[in-house]
Amino acid sequence: MRKYFSTFLMRWKMETQYRGAALGGIICQMVFGLILISIYRALYLGNPQPMPLSAIVTYVWLQQAFFRMLLSSDNDLMDKIRTGGIAYEMCRPVSLYGYYYARIMAMKLMGSLLRAVPMLLFASFLPEGWGIGAPASLPALLLSLMGLVLGLLCMCALENITMGISMRTIDFKGFQALLNLLMTTFSGNILPLTLFPDAWQQVIRLLPYAQLLDAPIRLYTGETPLAQAGQVFLIQGIWLCVFVCLGLYLWHRNTKKMIVQGG
Amino acid sequence: MHFIEVENLNKSFAVRKKREKGHFTREKTIIHALQDVSFTVDEGELLGYIGPNGAGKSTSVKILSGILTPDSGKASVGGLTPWLDRKNHVQRIGVVFGQRMQLWWDVPIVDSYQLLKDIYKVSKANYEKRLEELVDALDLESLLHTPLRLMSLGQRMRAELCGSLLHSPRLLFLDEPTIGLDAVSKLKLREFLQKENREKGTTILLTTHDMEDIAALCSRVMVLGHGKKLFDGQLPDLLSRYDTLRTIRVRYNAPPDFSALPESCTLQKEGDNYIITYAPAKLPTAEIIARLQQAGRMQEMTAQSQNIDHLIARMYREMDL
Repeated sequence: MRKYFSTFLMRWKMETQYRGAALGGIICQMVFGLILISIYRALYLGNPQPMPLSAIVTYVWLQQAFFRMLLSSDNDLMDKIRTGGIAYEMCRPVSLYGYYYARIMAMKLMGSLLRAVPMLLFASFLPEGWGIGAPASLPALLLSLMGLVLGLLCMCALENITMGISMRTIDFKGFQALLNLLMTTFSGNILPLTLFPDAWQQVIRLLPYAQLLDAPIRLYTGETPLAQAGQVFLIQGIWLCVFVCLGLYLWHRNTKKMIVQGG
Repeated sequence: MHFIEVENLNKSFAVRKKREKGHFTREKTIIHALQDVSFTVDEGELLGYIGPNGAGKSTSVKILSGILTPDSGKASVGGLTPWLDRKNHVQRIGVVFGQRMQLWWDVPIVDSYQLLKDIYKVSKANYEKRLEELVDALDLESLLHTPLRLMSLGQRMRAELCGSLLHSPRLLFLDEPTIGLDAVSKLKLREFLQKENREKGTTILLTTHDMEDIAALCSRVMVLGHGKKLFDGQLPDLLSRYDTLRTIRVRYNAPPDFSALPESCTLQKEGDNYIITYAPAKLPTAEIIARLQQAGRMQEMTAQSQNIDHLIARMYREMDL
């Protein structure tokens, strides 16, 4: 286990090397957040929705703060697959799945924390109707953190599947563009899932994308009552198992069939 | 039981290339990278692995290091089949691919070493001892806290080598380790590899195009061409097959008279110097020297054997590679 933890720490360290990029990301996400909120405010002026505006604003800020957890890939790993540097990883006494999982998790966690902390601080100082609201209750906050951890684990497992598929297609950009479209739509990044038609929500909420950020945010805002938290965790847990099994299978097959060409 | 046993190894790749006309059709060619290759290596041997580009050298190194699964054939390294028992197998081997990077690009190399220590489960005491030894031998002291991306090619190569040896592997695969190194670093690296082999008993399999490396390090060489094993034996034996010509370079005080020189040797003029090429098997060297002395008063004379690269090029030509 220690080797995977060290790998995690190493990738964590690497993430802190790019503070400039993090700052750029924060500013970009803040502007994006403000624009989205302006749009919702305009929308509510014309046609109020069942969900209160303050809850939507909170939703938008949390989505923006953890943006990097959803939409970011370890370009280093992709390069290794593309150029054959993965040959070295195959020469290590580690499970490749675990090794990549640890790296992806460090990148996603560190990347989003670096951005989320200053962004949420900024958003909490904004005036009412623009800034992030407080959690529904202390238990709601704790449960949403737990949901966030499960969401992160799901996300990393999902990303590892993408990696496994890129090993076959070598160029991952096309495939990833498709996945990102699904991700931004069904994770609630563009439009909060609560604003989708009710019938749609029945399905969308069960999809894996809803487990990543949407589920913990609903716990935070209190839209999901505390009593239903167990149900949320169960769905997250099922998806996590499915993704890990699928990923392990894919990587196992890949390592048997992989050919690294050239010197 | 030998340390490495390879029996009838076969591997072929399908290489697709686009036809000259038409964008949607592709031609598929099968390349036989290895064809029935068999050999054995004993523990503590230092084996040189040569052959022209595309001969199958890297393919066999990849199979033996567990990265690639062969189409058919058997291989065992210290009792384990590399591609079936990858995790246990790679714990005991070290690999240097001269063309690729294993250390982390953005962080100081010592951090990468720490990670390798954990990955290979090296104890703290062993790690510290070994690192000191390697840092000393590879002259890395001043670089330990520098990220890889700020290093020159030669420095990077040395840092990579250190990374591959931290866990004191029993078997070391070196795929073109001296690529891009300056003369001083090259000599240091050779000295170091010799020491590892002699003192630690590390088995080393060296792939390179630098014949000087092979000549300096390996007593046994294996020649691979078109995926087949063509020679396996001592380097001097291999060279003597092709090393059939000698040259002597002479300069005279006054224009010489070469009429006494036998016809079987060739004569070239290069500035003030004369270059005589002959086959010592047919014409003893003593005889040639005696004749050259008859030709006039010599100012200077040097005997040269043929450049090893020329010999290998000739060998590849004659083997039709």
